[in-house]
Amino acid sequence: MNGVVPTTVIVAGLVLAGYAGVTTARNRRMEVDLLVALGVLEVLVLVLVGLIVAKLAGGARPAGLGTLIGYLIAMPVVPVAAGFWGLLERSRWGPAVIVVAGLVAAVLVVRLHQIWPVIHV
Amino acid sequence: MSEPTAPSEPAASPEPVASPGPVAPEPVAPEPDSARSGPGRVLVAIYALFALAASARAGVQIATKYGDAPVAYLLSAFAGLVYILATVTLGVGSPLARRIAVLSCSVELVGVLAVGTWSVADPATFPDATVWSGYGSGYGFVPLVLPVFGLLWLRRLSKRA
Repeated sequence: MNGVVPTTVIVAGLVLAGYAGVTTARNRRMEVDLLVALGVLEVLVLVLVGLIVAKLAGGARPAGLGTLIGYLIAMPVVPVAAGFWGLLERSRWGPAVIVVAGLVAAVLVVRLHQIWPVIHV
Repeated sequence: MSEPTAPSEPAASPEPVASPGPVAPEPVAPEPDSARSGPGRVLVAIYALFALAASARAGVQIATKYGDAPVAYLLSAFAGLVYILATVTLGVGSPLARRIAVLSCSVELVGVLAVGTWSVADPATFPDATVWSGYGSGYGFVPLVLPVFGLLWLRRLSKRA
């Protein structure tokens, strides 16, 4: 696998975190734009998870299989949880939670690469 | 994260998403204070994340290779439980929950300092890392900073209450 998809997820997470940070700083609540951005991040994460599952289905195995599966389950949950959080917390602190989600998405991809270096970042 | 300076001009709200009842004017004024809304939300989110990370990690490690580093794995599991307790009590925000939250944040701070020191002084006991070893260095030192913010936030809440 080349590194385009993981790199894109990292960049998308960081951009989302930056944009959500500006939203928080401007004292705005989450609007449709942030929700759409979270949706884009979710799609990218799902593509990455799909690529890894395909690799597992092809017979390749990482050393820490249990941990890897945990990451595959946790990663797609992050943007969705942040989206609901933004809908429920109708203040600047909704986007602040989305900042965390964007950073976490990026960090998770980096750690995923540490678990299974076959997926190049 | 940037420190906002609370702008006072009202914001246009072109498409309010899911606003039940009468639409609140934007921007939202300084929130009334529990950890359930406002900046406390961010704390709860990060705590939830660490609760999940620490307990899932401990679960996998204890299930698959308990013998390798039992002390480290049991400490990971303990850390996970403390994070779960802190997440729930910060989220609930009642006076009793807040008191339990203060306790769990304190345990956490003592834990990260003690285990951090222990892991530096006696690396042989920690062939594998825990959330708290190296003062949380494997997690960007967030485990060290988090209880401090938690306690500061709880203190601010109890002053206002």
